[in-house]
Amino acid sequence: MEKKNKSKKKKIVLELTRSDVLKVAAAALGSIIAAPLLTTGPLSPFGQLKQKQLEGPVEDGHGATGEYHWGMVISLDQCIGCEYCMRACNATNDVLEGSPWNVVIAEKTTAGNTFFLSRPCLHCQNAPCVEVCPVKATYHREDGLVVMDYDRCIGCRYCQVACPYDARQFNWEERTDVNQYVPAWGEPEVERRPRGVIEKCTFCIHRIDSGLAKGLMPGKDREATPACVNICPVGARTFGNLKDPNSEASQLIATSPTLRLRDDLGTDTSVYYISPKEGM
Amino acid sequence: MTTSALERKPFRLPISPVFLIWLGFLSVLLLIGVYSAIAVFINGLYITNMSDAVPWGLWITIDLSSIALGAGAFTLSAIVYIFGIKRLQPIIRLAVLVGFAGYTSAMLMLLVDIGRPDRFWHPWVFWNVHSVLWEVTMCITVYLLILVTEFAPVIVETKFFDRWPVLRKFGHFLHKLTPFLAVLGLVISLLHQSSLGATYGIIKSRPFWFKPSMPIMFVLSAIASGPAVTVAVAYVLEWVTGKRTVPHNVLQIVTRFCGVGLLAYGYIKFWDMAAVTYYGRTPGVSSAFALLQQQTPYSFSFWAGEVMLGILVPAIMFLVPRFNKNPAAAVLGAVSAMIGIIMHRWNVTVGGLFVPVSYSPGTVFQLPPGTYFPAPVEWGVAILVIGYALIVLTLGAYFLPLFENNEH
Repeated sequence: MEKKNKSKKKKIVLELTRSDVLKVAAAALGSIIAAPLLTTGPLSPFGQLKQKQLEGPVEDGHGATGEYHWGMVISLDQCIGCEYCMRACNATNDVLEGSPWNVVIAEKTTAGNTFFLSRPCLHCQNAPCVEVCPVKATYHREDGLVVMDYDRCIGCRYCQVACPYDARQFNWEERTDVNQYVPAWGEPEVERRPRGVIEKCTFCIHRIDSGLAKGLMPGKDREATPACVNICPVGARTFGNLKDPNSEASQLIATSPTLRLRDDLGTDTSVYYISPKEGM
Repeated sequence: MTTSALERKPFRLPISPVFLIWLGFLSVLLLIGVYSAIAVFINGLYITNMSDAVPWGLWITIDLSSIALGAGAFTLSAIVYIFGIKRLQPIIRLAVLVGFAGYTSAMLMLLVDIGRPDRFWHPWVFWNVHSVLWEVTMCITVYLLILVTEFAPVIVETKFFDRWPVLRKFGHFLHKLTPFLAVLGLVISLLHQSSLGATYGIIKSRPFWFKPSMPIMFVLSAIASGPAVTVAVAYVLEWVTGKRTVPHNVLQIVTRFCGVGLLAYGYIKFWDMAAVTYYGRTPGVSSAFALLQQQTPYSFSFWAGEVMLGILVPAIMFLVPRFNKNPAAAVLGAVSAMIGIIMHRWNVTVGGLFVPVSYSPGTVFQLPPGTYFPAPVEWGVAILVIGYALIVLTLGAYFLPLFENNEH
């Protein structure tokens, strides 16, 4: 190698000449120009995908920014623990038995009396899962729903680790099971999710979207309302637009004492619970 | 620096029967590993023991550990090129090779671990700048590029490149940029080494993880243990070849640095424990620890694995002068520190997931505590990654001029 450096080999010297500096500057400038061209610009192999992202889901800000904010009120006082909601959900969304999107739990109040807690995805407006997803595969729609893009999810399972409510399931294998809840509890209305992605309750997003397109109002018209709400035999679940003060859900929240799960975490959930009459 | 005839002689690994047996052993590791990885790709992650309750396991532990153990590259580059401790320059090339092995191992590991390996490139295209995992992914990518750039001048020195003088010239030009790359590498590395801890530290729903000390402990333990791995590799190569690799006084300085680093890490760890479990304890944390101690040998793996093997043994081996000068003791200390790092990452990941989240407003319901022990196929893929790292080190030591012209 270059012997001339031997005399000063104990020093680390910057051996940059003016032309080197120019080269570095040119390379830096080139990179700055090349980066946008290659990522979002015309030269990018991913250009269209990136463009799709930029035009796609709500970029910043949290929760509902549009005219709707879909929410649910669940009355713990009325719930009888029949698990119909879980079954209808399993059938409608073709969920794998044993890892339901909508769980029903037998619980006790401080006085020792039993009540039943049912839990869909709570569609947090400050959602930990949305924060941590490295690829925005789970994001907020304008109507406040936290939804999954199954085509974008890489299956890292960070959202599952981050969810305070255990509301997310991973597709550990390609589904070949027969759904035991079909047809007794309903027909599948959505496709099964592929292997290797996360899934969770969507508030029956497909019903909301197609219902609104037909001029129906989710929460009022059954066709546009989540399956779990429709099937509840005691009417413990109420669904509606929380931005409309006259919706049944908003009215319930305004007139009854409600609580939200782990409110201390500041997740700002879209699901409100009416506590049992005796209190928690 | 001494320039004895011994050191001027080109360093080469001899092709001996032992070397061939070693290559055969590595091939067996690779075969087991590739077989396991193919089984995972065909069947899905279903065949692992991970579950919805414990979705991260051995693989994430290996991923975090190999990145931490590759930290020698940025630490030593920073020491030499930014803080100007030029005496340590002879170890840089080896450190960069070890770093390269560590980081590429981590990427290989992640590729098997994610549910959709065909979408590994999504983080580069679909940005979520709010996600700490996205930041880690981008940093690791950029840092891997830095490592390759730092290493390119060494690669173009090989005979193979005699026929492309242009590439060699370009390599030498890149070499002049090393100090800049060291600065960039330091920034990027400090960022992602600590962000790996933040991956856990920001999860507010899990009291076992949610604390600001998490990133500090991750980055400190990596800085302290990473360079020791490079030292161990240097000593082992010396034993294998019977030739000097890196001057011993350099290795001794690096191990001393590691010893001091480990003490600093131990100090933070002590205060973390005091604050989290005693002075500032919360009901959530207390019950999490109670559950862990009930269900798992957590206390044992913490004290024996993280504190004794991870901090005390290596600190003694690195700092007591008698041991510091003894290559065997230094290697022992480095291996011990490696086990400590792996135990720490395991305890954080799997221990944290054993404690279920709690969301019910009632008084009795609790999700069942997680259970997990890696399945054979998970060990198989772990062997793949270890085999891969060893092959990178072996081939690097065989083909690349790691220990010549270091003074340039």
